[in-house]
This record gives sequence, structure tokens and C-alpha cells, in this order.
Amino acid sequence: MKLDLSTLVIQFLHGLTYGMLLFLVSSGLTLVFGMMNVLNIPHASFYMLGAYFSYQILQMIGNFWVSLIVCPVAVGILGIIWETSLLRRAHAGGHVQEFVIGFGIFFVINEAVKWIWGTQDLPVSLPEGLSSSIMILGRVYPVYRIFILLFSFAVLALLAYILKKTRLGITVRAAVSDRDMVSALGTNTQLVFMLVMGIGSWLAGLAGVIAGPFVNTYPGMAFDILVDCFIVTVSGGLGSLLGAVVSSFMIGQLYSFGIIFIPRFAIVFGFLFMAVVLIIKPSGLFGEKA
Amino acid sequence: MLNKTGPYLFLIILLILIILFPYILPRFQLRMVNEIVILTLFAMTWKMMLNEGGMFSFGHAAYFGLGAYASALGWIHIQDLSFLSGILLGGLAAGFVGLVFGAFLVRLSGTYFALLTFALNQLLWGLAWKWRSLTGGDDGLGMFPKPDLLGISMQDPRNFYYASVIIIGICLVLCWYFTKTPLGNVIMSIHSNEERARFIGFNVQVSKMIFLAMLGFYAGISGALFAQFQEFICPTVIDMGRSTDVLFMAYIGGTGHFWGPAVGSGIFVYLSEYLSSYTVRWELFFGLIFIFIAVFAPQGVVGIIERKK
Repeated sequence: MKLDLSTLVIQFLHGLTYGMLLFLVSSGLTLVFGMMNVLNIPHASFYMLGAYFSYQILQMIGNFWVSLIVCPVAVGILGIIWETSLLRRAHAGGHVQEFVIGFGIFFVINEAVKWIWGTQDLPVSLPEGLSSSIMILGRVYPVYRIFILLFSFAVLALLAYILKKTRLGITVRAAVSDRDMVSALGTNTQLVFMLVMGIGSWLAGLAGVIAGPFVNTYPGMAFDILVDCFIVTVSGGLGSLLGAVVSSFMIGQLYSFGIIFIPRFAIVFGFLFMAVVLIIKPSGLFGEKA
Repeated sequence: MLNKTGPYLFLIILLILIILFPYILPRFQLRMVNEIVILTLFAMTWKMMLNEGGMFSFGHAAYFGLGAYASALGWIHIQDLSFLSGILLGGLAAGFVGLVFGAFLVRLSGTYFALLTFALNQLLWGLAWKWRSLTGGDDGLGMFPKPDLLGISMQDPRNFYYASVIIIGICLVLCWYFTKTPLGNVIMSIHSNEERARFIGFNVQVSKMIFLAMLGFYAGISGALFAQFQEFICPTVIDMGRSTDVLFMAYIGGTGHFWGPAVGSGIFVYLSEYLSSYTVRWELFFGLIFIFIAVFAPQGVVGIIERKK
């Protein structure tokens, strides 16, 4: 492949788009971990459900914007149900029990999706108005990717605003650093847990809807994103939003340029990155407590 | 009276059954029992890591798969490598990697520990998958020799079954014995309170490293036997699915009991065999069982039986 400026720029944009999508998914995961100290494995399933719900709505009414509003809310409600019905029971049993029960849900949703929608890839057409392409440095670049980029930045800004400025955000940040103290000060942490799980799942659903037309909708998408999400959240530092942004960006670029330079071993770059980060700084790039 | 002799009676009956299985079971059933025997050691290493060591491994397939690949490559590339040396080679390779990984892992705990094991496992999986010239990639490795053991042909499934029962049995006894050794006690004291163990003067990190290397060794032995059992290996011996399988086996069986991994791998092998012949969506039922056990019986099947008594 000829390496000129336009290739590099396009490749950079590809990496940025995937990185931002990854951020969208992992922000919810890292939020939930920081708050509840739970590695929420069904998060990846919620992302997949977002994509499938969106596919269903597009089949029925064909409006992307409706599904962008409805599906994440539905997924968020599922997340709340999962937290209140099962996760809460497992919390007393510690990490292993949460992990096992999360994996149980992951398997069940995976198989249920195959049962309902089949195992084949479901093509999702691009929403109207975003299906065209623009020219960047003499190359064709799809508008939808630009949309993903801008939309994810908007969500990032919204999240940062909520966390820094609102009452809920301050409570969440306080609870991340000292959960027991926040509880002792009279905050209903159960309720906050539920809300955080709802918001986290809503983010996963949102990412799923956005990802549908980008990567197609297929039953393996939960597994694929789960692996990348682990890499991002852990190397960024579990619970750190800034860490999630930085490591999503790095993973996006690593994949995007890795595939040009060393295509054969591109799949191990993410794991290598994660292993090196954990070995050098066990709490992740921006994590505070290990 | 019964309470005292009960366990011994049970053990003796089990032993007689294990010896008689090749003569009373049809061939495919014997194959499944053989698989259970091999996987029991693998599940045992996972269980010991959690129960004795307090470490949650989410990349246990690394050691199993490494043992399988190392021994298979040994049998292919080293002239006249004997059966036992090949198995030992697999164990030693996995044990060595367990030591190296251990050096990084001992500094971490909880979720971070689990995820570093996961990353290291995935790295090895990536190598097994992409280093085609050595591992054959997703075509896998087959056609490796199956040498005789002490002049007894391993081609006969009955002989192979007895050989694996003896090898695995010795390893299981050693695992059990480990919990009685001074080092085993140190490991358990680290589990119950790491800071206290350090204060008393034990070298926590080195003890943990040795422990991880030892478990890696046993998991490697299990993997090497598995390679000979399947007579073929491909990257699925080392992928994330294998790591969740072992979690399933140990957890369903019961992580707090010595017999948990054996019961768990039995349930696992039979369930996956029969469920997959009824429905393609068998993982759905796996997931449901997982949830059910985690919610209602976190001590596993053996835990339920113990409580009934």
C-alpha cells in the first residue's frame, strides 16, 4: 500500500471513529465499575441488544431517529431490571459470583438473540441524510462516520457536564472515591446504583444503535465489543472517564495503523497494550486505586 | 459408624468403578469419562487458584493450551520423544510461563488480576492463531506421534484411559498434598490476610509465583494429555471459551470442595454432549444453569450435597 498523506489521514479518521464508538460503549462500563466496583459483563450484551432493537424498529417504522431515542431507553430499563433483580443478590458474594452471574446473562442473551433474529449478519441501511459521502483530500469518506464522531463527542461532553456540574454527578463521583461515606451521609446509594446502571446500559444501547449501520448487526458483536471494552476500560483505569477517552483513542489508532503496518499480528495489539499497561501501572493509565 | 466409614466406602467403590469402566462402558462413553478425568485436573488448578490462593483467573486456558501445544510440537519435532517426556514437556512449558506470568500477576488483585490473566491468555491465543508456520494457525496440529508408554500401546483407548487416570491421579494427590505442605499453608495464610502474612515475614510475592507456576505445570499436564486424547489441537484449546469452560466446571461443581472440580467437569462434559445433541442453542441452558447456581447455590453441586447431609 502506498503511504501518502491522504492514506494516513483517512486511516487516522477510521481509527478515530472506531475509537469514539468504543468510548461510547466503554464509558458506561467504566461508570458502572467506578461506582459499584462490578465488572458488568452483560454491558456488551446490552450494546448488542441496542443494535438488534434498532434493526427491529427500522424494519417496522423505518425511522432511524425514532430508534435512536427509543432503543437506548428500552435497554436502559433492561439494565435496571438486571441490577435490581439479580446483580444485587450477587453483590454480597463478591467478585466471582458477580462475574459468574454476569457471564450467565451474557450467554443467555447471546443465544436468545440467535434464536430470535437468526445467526446471519443483518444489514442495516444508513439513515437518510447520512448515507452520502464527502471528499477528504481526494478520498471518498462516508458522512455516517463523521456523524458517529460528532455524536460521540456530544455524548462525551454531556457526560462530562453531568459528572462535573449536576447533583447526580457529584454524588456519583463522591461514591466512586468513598462509597460507604456517601451512604453514611444519607444518600440512598441503592437508588444511585440503580440510576447509574440505567445510564450505563442506556449508553450501551445508544452505542449499539449507532454501531448497527457501521459494523452491521450480528450475534458475535457482543463478544467482539466485550473484548475491546475490557482492553479500554482496564488500560484507561477502571472508573476513569478520562482514561476511557484516552485509551479508546489509542486502541482505535493502534488497530487502524496496526492493520497497515503489521497486518498479521494486528489482533494481538490490543492485548499487548493492555498487558503492558497493567504490568507497568497496575491501576491503569488514569486509575487511582488498584 | 456409617459417618466414619462412609467416605472410605465411597472412595473404594469409586476406585473399583474407575478400574472397571473400560469393561462396562461402551466406547463413546469411555471417551467421555476419559475427557472428564483429564479436565478434572484442569478444573482443579482453577479451583485451587481461587479457593486456596484467593486469585480469580480468567485466562486459565493459557496454561492448558500451552501444555497442549508444547507437547504436540515436542512429539512432532523431537525424534523419539517418549510419551511421558512429551507430557512432562507440556507441563514444564506451561509451568515456566506460569512463573513468568506470575511475576507480573502477583502485584495485582481482584478484577485487575482477572483481566491481566485474560490479556495474557489472549496474547498466547493470538500467537497460536497467527504463527502459522509453527502452530498451523486455525488448521491446527494433527498427526503427531502417539508413542508407547513403557511398551504399552497408547493407541488402544483402554490403555490410554488407564494411563491418563494414573497420571491425573498422581497430580491430584500432589495437589491435595500441597495444601498440607508449609508452602501450601503460607499460600492460604496469604489468602486470608496478605498484609499479616507479609508482616510475619513470609515472602508473599515469591510464594505466589511458585504457586502460580505449580498450577501452570498441572494445567499444562492436563492440556498435554488432552492433546493426545484428541489427537488434534487447534486454537480453541487456548481461547477464551476454554477459560470460561473451566470457570463453569469448577464453579458448578463447587469451588470450596476438593471433589468440586471432578463433579463439575463430569456435569460439564455430559451436559455439553447431550444438550448439544438436542439443540444448537445449548449455551442458553448453560447460561441459565450458571445463573441458577450463582443465585441459589454459590457453593456448587457438591455444596448442595453436603448441606443435605
